[in-house]
Amino acid sequence: MNEFVIEARNLSKVYPGAVDVHAVNHIDLQIENDEFTAIVGPSGSGKTTLLNLIGGLDRPSTGEILVNGHQIHDLTDNQLIDFRLRHIGFVFQSYNLIPVLTALENTEFIMLMQNIPKAQREQRAIELLNEVGLGEKLHSRPTQLSGGQQQRVAVARALASKPDFVLADEPTANLDSESAFNLLDIMARLNKEEGITFLFSTHDQRVIDRARRVITLEDGRIVSDIRQS
Amino acid sequence: MLWKVAWRNIWRNRTRSLVIIIAIALGLWAGVFASAFVVGMMHEKIDSLIKLEISDFQVHHPKFRDEQDVRFFIAEPEKLIEGIRREEGVRGVSERLVVNAMISGPGQSGAAQVFGVDPEREAVVSGLNTYIDSGAWFEGIKRNPIVLSHRLAEKYHVKLRSKLVITVQDVHGEITAASFRVAGIFDTKNPPFDDRQVYVRRSDLDALLGSEGKVHEIAVSLDDHEQADPMASKFAAVRSDLEILPWMDLTPGMRLMIGMLDTYTYYIVGIIMLALLFSIINTMLMAVLERVREIGMLMAVGMNKMRVFSMIVLETIMLTMIGGPVGLILAWGSVNYFGKVGINVGGSAYADMGFAATVYTRLVPQTYLIITLMVIGMAILAAIYPARKALQLNPSEAIRKI
Repeated sequence: MNEFVIEARNLSKVYPGAVDVHAVNHIDLQIENDEFTAIVGPSGSGKTTLLNLIGGLDRPSTGEILVNGHQIHDLTDNQLIDFRLRHIGFVFQSYNLIPVLTALENTEFIMLMQNIPKAQREQRAIELLNEVGLGEKLHSRPTQLSGGQQQRVAVARALASKPDFVLADEPTANLDSESAFNLLDIMARLNKEEGITFLFSTHDQRVIDRARRVITLEDGRIVSDIRQS
Repeated sequence: MLWKVAWRNIWRNRTRSLVIIIAIALGLWAGVFASAFVVGMMHEKIDSLIKLEISDFQVHHPKFRDEQDVRFFIAEPEKLIEGIRREEGVRGVSERLVVNAMISGPGQSGAAQVFGVDPEREAVVSGLNTYIDSGAWFEGIKRNPIVLSHRLAEKYHVKLRSKLVITVQDVHGEITAASFRVAGIFDTKNPPFDDRQVYVRRSDLDALLGSEGKVHEIAVSLDDHEQADPMASKFAAVRSDLEILPWMDLTPGMRLMIGMLDTYTYYIVGIIMLALLFSIINTMLMAVLERVREIGMLMAVGMNKMRVFSMIVLETIMLTMIGGPVGLILAWGSVNYFGKVGINVGGSAYADMGFAATVYTRLVPQTYLIITLMVIGMAILAAIYPARKALQLNPSEAIRKI
């Protein structure tokens, strides 16, 4: 087992233009297993870009990213897609569920892509949806669920592939307080009881308060890295 | 589950999908039915042409058809006729004298082609006796009966039992004439035929021409038109001194027309499909562009390009394969129905061109199979551009699209 689940070395992302934009600027970062980490900062500070780089959705201009010791920045597009499928769980700000599938099918879908047999993936999807409190909503489609419920399905989907860690980009941004707290409780419990590593970007103080580590970005650089009890 | 997703995605925009499905169904139906109509019309024309005018195959002196010289008789026809009669599938054989003549009626003269026939044998081959609606097929007049059409009867101002004079050049090159009395008047509803041909007994024309029992033409009718080509070839091989041609070579351009008829349907359906192709591409492109964020998410969470491509292709094929079979079933039903009851196209314009007033739609069964394959091909072709468009999405940008 590697010491760090995520390790970024001298990571930069520059968007060329009339004036080059350094969205991420020479960042060094290590995330250990079981961490519950928030990346915070004002809009445009580079939170989402950093998460995209770590998640293999974008390629760095310079630097390296290692996930459990594997270099991911030099993988081909297809290798990256496969890597994401097997190692990373994603939770997006806008839930991004497949509208034509039920909660159960949305959760199963990622396991289908991993070629897991039907019975096995259905059992795991039901377990995960029970864990996020949606055992009664297995056959509801996204349009029949509230925003908070949809985001909980998204968490179940992110965990379905048994990833090394979960990246969550502003997961509570579209949720009311009650739904946000509910979701945070679930994520914290999964982190604590099942040792799932969460890394999320946010400017939601409710999330920041629950994080055990808070990394603050400004202008693409880490300006503080605080561990809180 | 990919199938399930693709299927459900089709119905996300029910109206749009239904519109394109109906367009595919109607387009295919219209294309196939229009083709079946034209093919049916042409087959009616060909059947009528074979039956009434040219028979399944004919035998001539090699120069007779080009030069129409009365002296170009068929040499030693007896053995050949006997051989033809023995063949299985031969319905009738009619030996004919054929001569271009001048016909004179009361106050009116004109050119015509006179056929000297054995009435009974000719009736079997051409069935012209069935078109007689006034008088009878060589009955009621003992000496020199003649049968002609209503159009010619009107032209020469004659009616039943009226006298007509036929003037021809005999085998010695001498001009000779004889009078005939109208025994029967026919109406084939085929003006080009009716305006040209008159029929007399072969023995009467033989006497006029001095042809001594010889014949210019042997017309053979078969139970199956398809056998005309091989049978004509078979006898042509035995009698290379004669011209023995099947029906498709007796009329200029007929063989070409038959060949075109076989592919006509595919051209018509192909053109309609080309138009439908762009409608489907448009629909699928809209479907992809509406789901940029969703497709981006799928790629982000690990759906590989092959699966994304397959999903879009599957959706397109499903969309097409709903409309396609509906159109083909509609076409099959209507082609079969109108193949039995016929479509009355009426109008003298068709009749003047020698087409039947009732068209029976027809299409060979394998056409449906080939069209089905064409539809599948079109679906795959239509899917490629939208699917490629989906593959070009950058997941990190796509998931943020509103």
